[in-house]
Amino acid sequence: MTTRESRASVRRAYRPRPKTPPALVNLLKLLGLLLVLGWCLFPFLWMGMTSLRTGSVALTDPNIFQGPFSFGNYEEVVNQGFHFALRNSLIVASVTTLICIPVAALAGYALARLPLAGKFALLAATLVATLFPPVALVNPLYRMYLQLNELTGINLLNSYAGMIIPYVALTLPLSIFILATFFAGIPKEIEESAKVDGATPFQAFLKVVAPLAAPGVGAAAILTFVYATNEFLLAFSFAPRDLNVQTVPVFVGTFERVGYENPIGQIMAASVLVSVPLIVFALVLQRRIVAGLTSGAVKG
Amino acid sequence: MGRVFLAPSLGFMALIALFPVFYAVGMSLYNIRGFQQEFIGGDNYVRALTDPNFWNAAKNTLVFTVASVSLEFVIGMAFALIMHQVFVGRGLTRAVILVPWVIPTAVAAQVWRYMFDHNPGFVNAVLGTEINWLRDPAWAMVGIISADVWKTAPFVALLLLAGLQTIPKDYYEAAKVDGANALQRFWLITLPLLRPAIVVALLFRTVDALRMFDFAYVFAGYSNSVATLSVYAQRFLVAEPQLGYANALSTVTFVIVMLVGLAFISRMGRHMVGDVARKEKR
Repeated sequence: MTTRESRASVRRAYRPRPKTPPALVNLLKLLGLLLVLGWCLFPFLWMGMTSLRTGSVALTDPNIFQGPFSFGNYEEVVNQGFHFALRNSLIVASVTTLICIPVAALAGYALARLPLAGKFALLAATLVATLFPPVALVNPLYRMYLQLNELTGINLLNSYAGMIIPYVALTLPLSIFILATFFAGIPKEIEESAKVDGATPFQAFLKVVAPLAAPGVGAAAILTFVYATNEFLLAFSFAPRDLNVQTVPVFVGTFERVGYENPIGQIMAASVLVSVPLIVFALVLQRRIVAGLTSGAVKG
Repeated sequence: MGRVFLAPSLGFMALIALFPVFYAVGMSLYNIRGFQQEFIGGDNYVRALTDPNFWNAAKNTLVFTVASVSLEFVIGMAFALIMHQVFVGRGLTRAVILVPWVIPTAVAAQVWRYMFDHNPGFVNAVLGTEINWLRDPAWAMVGIISADVWKTAPFVALLLLAGLQTIPKDYYEAAKVDGANALQRFWLITLPLLRPAIVVALLFRTVDALRMFDFAYVFAGYSNSVATLSVYAQRFLVAEPQLGYANALSTVTFVIVMLVGLAFISRMGRHMVGDVARKEKR
């Protein structure tokens, strides 16, 4: 340790002076930063401005600063029931997360800690399962739902459960993998001392390990929530028209034009209404999201 | 104990993912018309291989995947290097970079579709062109690639940035002392040490691009212009129901995605999975 430090200090002493003047370097850095920010945000500027434009000029003139402006488009999408789609998305995503995370936490803990035969194969299989293409589920699940309906009278088509069930199955593998990575990072001694004090393995998991893994649990929960608000294909196949269950991606992605009117303003108003909460969500939970996305990716 | 903890997850995935796949493979061997089913063996697969629209969908998927993933990688790498340099506003940039990622793809697709639409013609006005982006298949493909690159290059940047931050600064200083220029330092230090992050980013992006549905459907519906394999399979499930054939198409999509994914994971799986196993031994 000390030799490395001293070597570094020697290097620092011999480090050549930077050739480019610092002011120029800072300017370039600032430009780079603005480039990244502009890239990410400019469509939102277009979206926001377009959502406020009304009248025939708005539909034909590409200049987004050309009025007249009003909140008319927002009134219209709310009249068409957009707030129901927002509510449906929120319910579907929350319930998916609430089911997925406890189930995944148990599995992740088992894979990271408990004695298991074939653990390596199980972890590898979990990773492979994250690749599952949803299109392979559409028809088989549709038929399973129909048969379930015939046998028991429970109808999963056009219901929240019909979407939540496949979402849980599709988000489990990634959640398990993230949580296993986090659990494996918690020192084993803490848990062993709990067991010495007389806790059962389940108590040790619930009282000691789970709280320590809270950052990982939060990260996995956010990724699950984002997946479930994002999913389009299954929601579109299982709950396409009914406003009682239709989610936001389906509402916006399949927006019907009425007559000859171009619904651009209304679609953008709907897009703004869904983007604002999600943007706030991303800004507030930035750290957790980054931790979840990069766990496993960069360690080791 | 371990088995008890794993049982709910494995049971759920087996019932809702694994079983349906076998179900789909089974149905792909039938010709299904209304309530009539007739066993026809591999005929649906033969039909796919001789269907020009299937090859068109396969080509679209390939073009989309190769173009968008490589652009996302190059732009994401540039963004990651910029963000790695900048110290002011790093938290803000990291947060903003998540914004395109968090917006539902179908919503982003609508926004981009209307930006490319010739009425009001925003993209044409910016570029000074007169292209009918949505009607011409080649330009529509450029459109969905641009939209996807916009949405996910920041995501790639984030994964690469996290990788960059694990590379010890000492390495760069030592290389500088030895007289390596910036390009050599990038090529000989950054790229090799960034490999795990690069492989993970490419894995997730490639698999997502291969199974992409949202952008292609929102831009062009079931028309062939930019239809990917997922869109083409969905067309025979919903628009023109031929369920046996649809299941053959979705099975082919499933096999392609899994094979490509497995090829990636076999290169890195031992490393990543080994990481969890190693920590456990400690």
